Amino acid sequence: MVDWRLYEPLINFARKRSMWIVSFCTGCGGIEMPPLMTSRYDLERFGMMPNPAPRMADLFLITGYVTPKTLKRIIITYEMQPDPKYVLAHGSCPLNGGIYWDAYNAIKHLDKYIPVDVAIAGCMPRPEAVMDGIKKMMELIETGKADGWKRYKENYEYYKKNQDELFGEGWRERTARRWIPWLMNKRKEIGGGEQ
Amino acid sequence: MNELALIVFAPLIAGALAWLIDIKGIREIIGVLGAAVPLGYAALLYQKTGEGLNFVLSLGVFKLTFALNTLNWFFLGIGALVGFAAILALVSTGRDSYEWLFALMSLSGVLGVFLANDLMTFFIFWEIMTFASFMMVLHYNKAASLKYFLLSVFGAYAMLIALGMIYAKLGTFDFAQIQQAMYKEAYAAAFGADTVFSKGESILIYLLFLIAFGVKAGMFPLHVWAPDAYSETNQSYAAMFSGVLSKTGVYGFIMLYLLMGTRLAIELGGFRSTTKFGYIIAFLGGLTIIVGGLLAALQEDIRKLFAYSSISQLGYILVGIGVGTALSMQAALFHALSHALFKGLFFLIVATIVYRTGKTTFADMGGLAEKMPFTFAMAFVAILSLAGIPPLVGFASKWVLFEAVISQNLPVLGGMVFFGSAIGFVYLIRFTYAVWFGQRPTDLDNVKDAPLSMAVAMAILALFNVILGIAPGLVARELNKIFGKEVIGGNLYVLDLGFGKYNALAILIYLIAGIVIAGIIYFMGAKARRVPVTDTYQSANPVTMDYNLTIRRNFFLPLKETLAFWLRISFDKLYHDIGAWVEDLAEVLRNYVYNGNAQSYAWYLAIILLILALWGV
Amino acid sequence: MIETALKAFLILIYATFVGFMFMGIIRIVTARIHRRVGPPIYQPILDTIKLLSKKSNITHGLIYDFGVIYALGATILALMFIPLGSMGILRAYGDLILITFLLEIPMLGIMFAAMSSGNPYAGIGAQRALLTLLAIQVPLGFAIVALAEFYGTFSTYEIVMAQQTMGWSIIHLPLLLAAIAYDIVLQALFGKEPFDIMIAPGEISLGPMVEFGGKHMGILQIQHAIALFAETLFFANIFLGGAVVTAFASPILNTIASLGILLIKQIAVLMVAIFVGAIFPRFTIDQAAKFYWKWPTIIAALGAILASL
Repeated sequence: MVDWRLYEPLINFARKRSMWIVSFCTGCGGIEMPPLMTSRYDLERFGMMPNPAPRMADLFLITGYVTPKTLKRIIITYEMQPDPKYVLAHGSCPLNGGIYWDAYNAIKHLDKYIPVDVAIAGCMPRPEAVMDGIKKMMELIETGKADGWKRYKENYEYYKKNQDELFGEGWRERTARRWIPWLMNKRKEIGGGEQ
Repeated sequence: MNELALIVFAPLIAGALAWLIDIKGIREIIGVLGAAVPLGYAALLYQKTGEGLNFVLSLGVFKLTFALNTLNWFFLGIGALVGFAAILALVSTGRDSYEWLFALMSLSGVLGVFLANDLMTFFIFWEIMTFASFMMVLHYNKAASLKYFLLSVFGAYAMLIALGMIYAKLGTFDFAQIQQAMYKEAYAAAFGADTVFSKGESILIYLLFLIAFGVKAGMFPLHVWAPDAYSETNQSYAAMFSGVLSKTGVYGFIMLYLLMGTRLAIELGGFRSTTKFGYIIAFLGGLTIIVGGLLAALQEDIRKLFAYSSISQLGYILVGIGVGTALSMQAALFHALSHALFKGLFFLIVATIVYRTGKTTFADMGGLAEKMPFTFAMAFVAILSLAGIPPLVGFASKWVLFEAVISQNLPVLGGMVFFGSAIGFVYLIRFTYAVWFGQRPTDLDNVKDAPLSMAVAMAILALFNVILGIAPGLVARELNKIFGKEVIGGNLYVLDLGFGKYNALAILIYLIAGIVIAGIIYFMGAKARRVPVTDTYQSANPVTMDYNLTIRRNFFLPLKETLAFWLRISFDKLYHDIGAWVEDLAEVLRNYVYNGNAQSYAWYLAIILLILALWGV
Repeated sequence: MIETALKAFLILIYATFVGFMFMGIIRIVTARIHRRVGPPIYQPILDTIKLLSKKSNITHGLIYDFGVIYALGATILALMFIPLGSMGILRAYGDLILITFLLEIPMLGIMFAAMSSGNPYAGIGAQRALLTLLAIQVPLGFAIVALAEFYGTFSTYEIVMAQQTMGWSIIHLPLLLAAIAYDIVLQALFGKEPFDIMIAPGEISLGPMVEFGGKHMGILQIQHAIALFAETLFFANIFLGGAVVTAFASPILNTIASLGILLIKQIAVLMVAIFVGAIFPRFTIDQAAKFYWKWPTIIAALGAILASL
């Protein structure tokens, strides 16, 4: 049919100027999101909009520390997004654990579980720093180098191995069986205490 | 033998034979043949409607007369077609020969009512039809059948009293003679001369007929038998029950107009641009639309949802009849046809679902679209038709009705009719979401699709839905013949009312063009991969099939809360309370008057003899 | 035949482009009200290109795909019936009631597609969308009845022609009442506050749209654009006089002039909707139903009764 590669510059322009962010505010960095979206540092002029449904969103902001409980939900949401998708890591916690470098329940090295495209250091980075990071992300998209999703698809065994090592195999079903009765207020006897 | 006799009596004879010959395969064949005979003759007699065919059966003292004209043929066609489809589906869901006997007997009764040419025949076949359908409901549930029986008998006695009054004054039952006499009366009343019926008597006859036909058609205060009766019977039979038997009430109202319309119009006067007596019927019809529709949205049982939906759709027909112009009567007849088609189809779908899954409440069903794809396709056609979506027949009839009502400057009725169409969307989405989509409960993993006879029956009705929707001119031509003048113009695909036009073919072509454009855009994107129903966004919690996350109970809870005040008023409770009061009265009588004590009986006897002696008898 | 197809195609391209501009206008005007800079006006086109060019899509079955395609097809169909100045492919058959029905059908298609995914958020969204639809039917019905009784005809084209001689519809009192009621109904049809309970971002994750992504969402954006155009065009035609310009000699200039006038009227309608939507929070569904069944119904019923006298 049509050779879409001819239109790559236009499509990349569209992709970089209309990134939709999954409204998933992990950790303490979520507090930095409202200043970015509101009148002073207006993020909507770049076309970025928060969007509650992952099926329509491309950009995932990991704003702050990540615990195993949160990491499970991040992985499930990340896999629900359609390609191409990008991950932006705010703060020092996703990089190397940040101020929780010696905690027993914070993930120190996020890149082992989810591919990260751009990382912004700081505890919390100011909005200007975040804008800088977003500018770098747009540059990566324009030159076609924002390929975190490709890395995830190609090295899926590596990522899956790391995830299973952390949570144990079959963690989705076990988490479902533990949490859905609680949400639906039907307490049942569930064996195993893992979250 | 005369064709009309064959049409009326063939189903009855076939039913009796099927009941006597109780062998499983043979009784089905006899039954289906018995239902196919009227259908075949109805098709053949299409050419001969103008010839004045009639048939007289003389039973000693009085005669039963049947005749065929264009109006009869229209209703005969509806009755034969939907009746045949229902009997064909009864092949799969019929439980024993009892049901075959009474289903065919009621089909016979219905055809007799439509073809009757005098009031006595009308009444006799009305009673046969009511009796047979009562026996069908009795087979499943006694309380529902009792309610149906009481209300039907109440209506039938009202009709009998009205019949008696007419016979006493005019001395005849024949339709043509009564119509002549009533015309003379109407002119006499208009000029102030003496009339045979006084004003009070004609109003009384009108009210009695209103009650009689209103019960059968399920009009607003008298509809309480319908939900229970339509749900507690064999669901294939319910297709005929709600599709055809309720049309006898509609036919009765049209008879009321033909026989007494002019007289009542002159007696009671007009109201804005219609007659007063017609406006009462139309207003009650409008209330029926709203009440039936809102209650349908709140039901938990699939059969009751469609029963209330039937009541709601009949309200449309009553509005059309009540407004009284030629166009609105044609609209009402058109809607009668399309209602019989899509409601018959819906009840057959319900019958298939109940037959295959054995469940009747929404809470137990779900996710059946993958397992029963043919039934789902039929349900799709029926849903589009009931909701009134353009290329199908439901839209054509609703459109003509809207235009007819609104062009007569009746804003309240117009608003009610408009409201009714949105209600249709509401309860259909409830039906679709709870039954066809979502997670499937594990005990439904092995359901099979519809059996062959039901699939054929559904396909026949769906085909007529689509054909008559794309070419509504076919129906419009027949309706114009009934009224003798060109009320709805246009050609095969276009309905032209002078102040509005509807072009079914153009809509179909442009809809297909639009879908093709959308399809091209769709296929230019990347290929889509299929994901299971557990891969869905639940705020990032993982989902398994063990827990049901589909909302099947109380789907319209906000509506129930909004209408909480109005739902406390219920005519069903009123009738129950009246029934309980009568029982108490009977109890009082039994304790004080008929108390089984021989001495008080002796006293009664003595008192009566004394009174009679004093009177000098 | 070819000429009709060409005209239809041009109308479609024009409607899509202007519809996207309207969506952009909504975003940028809302942003300016919030004293922000806001996205550029062509932002929805970039969104749609991004969505249509996603490299992997998911589907939940045949009805999921078909519902979305059907919604877009039905919107295109509705567009063909509304007279656009003096153009209009099927304007002889453009009935008031037909167009009103056709503008509601895409919602049904989207509901079908959303429900087939089996998501409970989609189910709740469908329920709320339907109850909103139910709530708006009463004032909508009375407004249409008022129009039909006042002009004595149902055809939209004839109403537009009648307004060229009699002046705009809103000059007459019954139709002014009907127009006010219809404008309140338009808020719900656009899906803007205070009646955007069916979309409700953040509360039920966009309701019916929760499982749509990639090209399905792209098609839904196109549908929303054409629907915005069609609804504002319908309002401008029946209440604000449409535009039939015959001043110039050449038909092309006439067409451009009438399209321009229509555009101004449509943007006026859109601005009213944006201004109301920017200041109100969201009503819950029973509040919305009770509101619609009280004041807009009374206003529209008054208009209908006055029109029929």
